[in-house]
Amino acid sequence: MTQANYRILFENVSKFYGEVLGVNRITLSIPPGITTLVGPNGSGKTTLMNLMTGLVQPSSGNISVMGLTAGDATEFFRNVGYCTQFDTFPRGLTGWQFLLDSLMLHGMSKTDAYRLTFEAIERVHLGDAAFRKIAGYSKGMRQKIRLAQSIAHHPRVLVLDEPLNGLDPMARAESIALFEELGRQGMHLVISSHILDEVDRISDRVVLITGGYLIAQGNIHQVRQEVRDKPMQVLIRCDRPELLASRMFAVNHCVEARVHSDGKGIFLRTGDIDQFYSMLNGIAAEGLIKIDAVAPADDDANAIYQYLIGSDGSAS
Amino acid sequence: MSVYKNNYRAYTGPVTPLWMRIYVLARYGFAEAWSSKITVALFTLSLLPFIIFLIIIYLANNPIAQLLVFKNSSRSLTVDAGFFLGTLQTQSWIALVLTAWVAPRLISFDLADNALPILLSHPISRVGYVFGKFMAMFTSLSAVTWVPCLLLFVYQCYSSAQPWAMANLSIAVGLFVGAVIWIAFLSILGLALSSWVKWRVVATGIIFAAVFVPAGVGGIVSAVLRTQWGLLLNFPVSMSVLWQRLLGAPEFMRSASSLPTPAIVTVLVLASLLCVAMLNARIRAR
Repeated sequence: MTQANYRILFENVSKFYGEVLGVNRITLSIPPGITTLVGPNGSGKTTLMNLMTGLVQPSSGNISVMGLTAGDATEFFRNVGYCTQFDTFPRGLTGWQFLLDSLMLHGMSKTDAYRLTFEAIERVHLGDAAFRKIAGYSKGMRQKIRLAQSIAHHPRVLVLDEPLNGLDPMARAESIALFEELGRQGMHLVISSHILDEVDRISDRVVLITGGYLIAQGNIHQVRQEVRDKPMQVLIRCDRPELLASRMFAVNHCVEARVHSDGKGIFLRTGDIDQFYSMLNGIAAEGLIKIDAVAPADDDANAIYQYLIGSDGSAS
Repeated sequence: MSVYKNNYRAYTGPVTPLWMRIYVLARYGFAEAWSSKITVALFTLSLLPFIIFLIIIYLANNPIAQLLVFKNSSRSLTVDAGFFLGTLQTQSWIALVLTAWVAPRLISFDLADNALPILLSHPISRVGYVFGKFMAMFTSLSAVTWVPCLLLFVYQCYSSAQPWAMANLSIAVGLFVGAVIWIAFLSILGLALSSWVKWRVVATGIIFAAVFVPAGVGGIVSAVLRTQWGLLLNFPVSMSVLWQRLLGAPEFMRSASSLPTPAIVTVLVLASLLCVAMLNARIRAR
């Protein structure tokens, strides 16, 4: 077994819709776990997902998902589950019928389809609502049935387009718990989301994309450290924040300081994180300031998004 | 970073053959088509001519009943190839109405709901998707075309005092082949046009237009160029000529009798290929 059999690989992939750019020269290697696609509207996230799930073919480049290509549809789609962001249900069906038919479209026997339908309904906590017509479902229920449809056939790769949209906090927490559980079990989850706080919570790595171009990929902390032109913010919990600020401003890489609202900590922004930590070690060793905790304050998805893409959605 | 247990197990059981998956789509489509009360009403309406033809066959084979109906009139009823051409023509135009109603329900809803990504992320190809819809359409149209026509043929065989069936078997074959050609063409035409229009009512109008507008254009071509070839664009006429030849019925329109069968078939094939190209362009997950 080669590495390609365990990864989603994009090699210099471009997709054009006529003259409109979908994505351009994307090279990715996605290991198991939870990977989140982050980018503004129209950035190419859905195109990337459609390419990953074999729904559209690349204009150039190669894609393989766990060593499979969409050419072998039966094997490919057996391994890939896709939860689209659209309300896409054949009319007049109950949730249960929809799942059953979806599994039969995947080629399951009726016996297996029945078993897996009940299992999927249980996993998304749809309960008795599964036996009601989808037309009468709330937005959250529709989201759940879409999710159930994508996981019901036990794919190895799960691609979820905005799966948390429309869910109430309880359902959102349940879905996130399910994603985390599947990720821990070694499944590939590729999720697109605008909810950056949740991206932070659940992602093993992020893929930032805007205007069809890949901006960054990797672990959130690693990506933040790569963004060297933006001073890094660190929160230091200590007993004398003002003194710490004055000591830090003595060096020129420290560019901003803000005392925490509770007065027991300070946010410091530095252009040279290595120097900064080295100096902080010295201050701690002096014993004048009692330092309780040190934590990066802006190496989250939200900060990376702001720094690399900008609030207007254009890469900076 | 997560700690991976790597205990996730993908499904490794057996999978059914492709045709069974396409059957699921055909079943979806069929259920969608017949969930409408208007579809049921159109089907019921299609039974009216069938009942009238049934009565005619009964009368034609029952001299006493014929005498009672026509009294002293010299008119007589004959059930022959011409009669069955009439049944096929009638049922075929009902099939056109049914196509205009049903085809948009099969495709336009999926396009309006953006359902293609979710359906095509199953191991069925675009061809499989279209074929499933085609089967639903074809089956629905069969119920109003060759099925009632052949039932009438069987009833005539049963009612006739003379040994009729063997001598007229070619009519049954003609009915079946003629109806199948027409409903296959209607199915692909209906699906192709519906795939380009998201609004169902507009799609219904366009399907009628696709049959009758070329007929008008063909009429103009024939009149201006003083030729009969314009009739090839007139599907009602060219199909009737084809059915007449398949059933061995007498000529019904002298001007159209010069149309060669290969030319009619070629036009149907070209129109069908155009429909396939239209479907190929539209049936995609975007």
